Parts: sequence; C-alpha cells; structure tokens
Amino acid sequence: MFDRDLWAEIFHSIKKNKLRTFLTGFSVAWGIFILVLLLASVNGMKNGFVNEFKDDATNSVFVIPNSTTLPYDGFEAGRRIKFTNDDLKYIQGNFKEDIEYITPRFRKGITAKYKKETGSYTVRAVMPDHQKIEKTIITDGRYLNENDIDKKLKVAVIGKKIKEDLFGDENPIGKTIILNNSTFNVIGVFEDEGNDRENRILYVPVSTLQRLYKNTDQINSIVLTYNPKYSLAEALEFSDRLETIMKRRHRVNPEDQRGVFVRNYAEQFSNVNNFTMMLTAISVFVGILILVAGIIGIGNILVFIIKERTKEIGIRKAIGAKPSQIINLVILESVFITTISGIGGMLFAMGLVKLVGKGINSPAFSNPQVKMSTVIIATSILIIAGILAGLIPAIKAARVKPIEALNAD
Amino acid sequence: MIKLVNLHKSYPIGKTDKLHVLKGINLHIKEGEFVSIMGSSGSGKSTLLNIVGLLDSHDEGEYYLNGQKIENLNETKAAVLRNKFLGFVFQSFNLISYKTALENVALPLYYQGMKRKERQKIAMEYLDKVGLKNWANHLPSELSGGQKQRVAIARALVTKPKVILADEPTGALDSTTTDSVMELLKEINDEGMTVFVITHEEEVAEQTKRIVRLKDGIIISDEKTR
Repeated sequence: MFDRDLWAEIFHSIKKNKLRTFLTGFSVAWGIFILVLLLASVNGMKNGFVNEFKDDATNSVFVIPNSTTLPYDGFEAGRRIKFTNDDLKYIQGNFKEDIEYITPRFRKGITAKYKKETGSYTVRAVMPDHQKIEKTIITDGRYLNENDIDKKLKVAVIGKKIKEDLFGDENPIGKTIILNNSTFNVIGVFEDEGNDRENRILYVPVSTLQRLYKNTDQINSIVLTYNPKYSLAEALEFSDRLETIMKRRHRVNPEDQRGVFVRNYAEQFSNVNNFTMMLTAISVFVGILILVAGIIGIGNILVFIIKERTKEIGIRKAIGAKPSQIINLVILESVFITTISGIGGMLFAMGLVKLVGKGINSPAFSNPQVKMSTVIIATSILIIAGILAGLIPAIKAARVKPIEALNAD
Repeated sequence: MIKLVNLHKSYPIGKTDKLHVLKGINLHIKEGEFVSIMGSSGSGKSTLLNIVGLLDSHDEGEYYLNGQKIENLNETKAAVLRNKFLGFVFQSFNLISYKTALENVALPLYYQGMKRKERQKIAMEYLDKVGLKNWANHLPSELSGGQKQRVAIARALVTKPKVILADEPTGALDSTTTDSVMELLKEINDEGMTVFVITHEEEVAEQTKRIVRLKDGIIISDEKTR
C-alpha cells in the first residue's frame, strides 16, 4: 500500500486522465458540499427559531396566588390565597440552588402629581432583582438598590411616558413627586421595550409601599428566574417542585389549577424544542438520502472507469500483473481521488458557511453552522462506501480472463 | 519448450450450442525454434496462441510449458508464469496510451518488483536494441505503426522470456515496416529465443523456420522452410 512505485503509477494515471479524475472528484465533492449546506441550513433555521423565542421566554417563572377552585383539607373552594413576605423568604431559603434572581411584586394604582401636572399610573413595588428579570433599561439616573429597600426610602424610578407626561423637557432626577399623599424622590427614568403601558409604571421599593399601606406584609406575586445552567427538563422539574411545595404550604388541592399558579416560560420553550428536534430528524433523514445518492454516484463512476480501463487491465495482466495488483491499482486511485475531493468539498462548504453564515441573522434563520465531527463522519462514510461500491467491479475486472479483457473495447 | 497433446477448446454459443475451435492439437516446439502458425481466420490459430500464452484455458488435452504441466491455473499463478516465461506482441500493439514508450517497456519489470531506476535503465537498453532510443519519451500516439510494434517487441523482450508470442505482429503494418519487424524477430531468434508467430500472410510465414498450417481446428501440415 505504501509502495512508492505503486503511488507513482497512481499519480501517473491521475495526471494522464484528468477528465475521469475530475468526474469522480466532483461527484464526491458535490455530495459533501450539498450535505454540509443542508446541515448548516437546518442548524440556521433552528438557531433562528430559538433566538425568536428567547426574547420573550427568558428563564422566568411567575408564581401567582388566586382563588381556589377545589375544596381541600377542610377548606371550601373559592378561598382567596394570599402571598406575604414570608412566602418570598421561604422560596429564597428553600430553593437557593434553583434561583438566579427573585423579586416580589406588590401593585397599586396611584395618582402622581408634579407641580401642576397629574396622572393615574400603576406603581409596582419590587426589589432590585426585578430589573434583571424584566430587562428594564435605565436611560437616566439609577434603578432601585438594596439600601432603598433596607431603609424603606421613598424613591421612585419612573417610566419614559410618565416623565413625558409630568416633566416634559425638565430633568426629573432629584425632583419630588407626590404619589397619593406621600412625596417620593425621582432617582431614575427607565424605558421598556414593551408597549406604552409598560412605560407608564413607577418602580418603588416593596418595603416602602408596604409601609405606606398600613405596614402590610402582603405581596401580589413572586417573579423569579431559574438557574440559567438548567436544561429544559431541569427547569420544568424545578417549577413542578415549586408548585407542589407552594400548594402544600397554602393548603391548596394539588389538582387545583388556579389556587397557586406557577407559570414557567420553559414550557412554551419546550414546544419550540420539539419543533427543532423534528427539523433535526428531517435533516438526518435527507442527509442519509444525499449520502446514498452520493455513494451510488461514486459507484457508478467507478464502474465506468473500470469498464474504460478493461483493455488496459488486460494488457497489464498479459505482461504479468497479478489480480491483486490490479485491484490495488484501481481502488487506491479512487480512494485517493475521493478522499482528496471529499475533504476539498467539505472544506469549501465549511468555508462558505463560515463566510456567509456570520452575515445572516434574520428571525427565521441565524448563524448556520455544522459540527466538524458530523461532517468528518459523513465524509468518511461517503469515501468508504464509495470504495466498497467500486471494489466489486474492480474484483470482477481483475478476475476476467486477460484475453477477454484484451478484446474488450 | 512448448508441448501440446491432443488439445481441445470450444466456446459456448448461446445456451446450448458449442463452437469446437481446436479439435485435438499435437504440437511440440523446442527451445530456439522460430515457428509460424498459418491459417485463415476461424482456423483456430488465435485461440491456440491464447492458450499457449496462458491468456485463455483449454478444455481437454495436455499443455506443458517449459516442462511444467499447465492445469488448474488461477490468475495469480498465470500472471507469474506469463511474466517469467512469455513475451507478447499483438496485432494492435496494446501499448498503454498514457504511458511513454520507455514506461511501457519498463512496466513488465515493475510487475517483477524491480526498482525504478534499474528498470528504466534496462528498458532504455531494449528501446535502443529496437532502434527507438530517441523516442523513449514519446507517447504511443506520437509513434508510427512500425515504431509502436517495435516498442511492443521491446516490452516483450525486457523480461528475457523463454518464448515470444506474436499474434499477427505485422497485420496492421505496411510491407516495408513488416520487413523491419520480421528482421527484428529473426534477430531475436538468432540470439536463441523461441519465437512463435501467428499469421495469415505467406510472406511473413516464409521468413520463419517452421510453418504449421491450421484448418478448422486441426493441423494439416507441419514443415520446415527451405
């Protein structure tokens, strides 16, 4: 196999038969090229879909209390479940590993007044983590911090629309506004990419608002994000566990769909996952078909080549070539051509994907790419199978009586 | 050197019929003989040469090559024997089209496992012997018919075989080149090599030392010339 003279023979025959070499090489390179582009396109579609859903579906989980719909543990249906600060502390304490950010939400409608301007808005009392969960963008000043919570400071972060309504062109930072009957210091302005309503909200420390409402410890809901390292399955397992425990804590029937409601965006995400899995399955199926077509193509060309060389094989046999030497010659030549062009086609396609892929980032199609290992395996399969397809006619040709080979045309 | 005893060969035609080509050939060719087999087309002369040349197998009878009985030969063994004992010259030259004259001549030595440099040196010597040293690096397509046949003869000689088998070596050549090719074969025979020529041309046969005439698969005459 590593006989220098044999390789010299092979290179010689490749050099002198450029069309034949090109035909074989091209069919292999083309097959691999198409395959890589297919896999890359499917991956691009997958990435596009995942990105599309990622904007909405972060890793956030909403825990919302409501009225029960089923009787349980001596309680009748229709009981109103309420969350307090203790629920927040309980979740914080018992799900340390699972949680990335967490905040309570305590909501009130208020009237805000600055100088002569007034308006009705929603105030959302939260903790600093809320900024990370909601992805609130601060355009001016700052967001709430731990100090504001601890000291129950009367500070407010106002939405872009409120700023426009109340302050006009005036800089609101450091100004005092009146919410219902209390004065609050404006410390920041935010912008939310959601609709106008999201921009007509005031954020204040949860502790401050609770104090103003008769020192209540009530909250409306708890919002959190789960550990971003979690897989979908782990995320769903976590939210199920959270729901079970919160229902037990508030004595809600485990079958009750409303009493304590845990909404995990991961669930919606799982539908997307199913979809992309389907895409992968289809691409594997089509990929195999392309490989089969490639193998048949290579086999065909090898059969043609051997047919074309029958007379030469006869001559070689007449002057003393053994059948094994004939098979070696024919097969090694095609191995060489298919390997080189297979790798060539692979590199060309990968290069194209790298080059063009970076530029594509639309909602339905983004960052197309393929795993190196997948491509290498596919190339190897194509080469090996192509050779096996050529081996059969090669053996047949080598076994033919030389006189028949010589008489062939 | 070559001994055939009651040799038969037939080819199947269709599913049931058979064409009986050789009907009991008895022939003994000693070392150093220059023999021609004469016969019209269909007389079985090419079949005879193919069997003698181990390019085809016989059905019945015995064939001894250099004292060795030829039977149950697989392709690998036949290849070794051909390379060692036999040199072929064909009517249509059968040179490999993409190899130069020198490479064509050197090819049998490659199958003997000889090193590249050595076989090129020997091949050049034989090209010189047939007067084509200056054409060594030309492709067959750049050579005339006579030159091609001389390259083929050099290729047949290069392994120093016991027997040269020539199947209508002059069939594709004009009379002048025919004479030069026959001169070359004579020279080779003078050096002691057994030469076995198949032809249907009287002029060619007459230049050999023994003429065997074949008709319908049997030998009808076997005589020395002059």
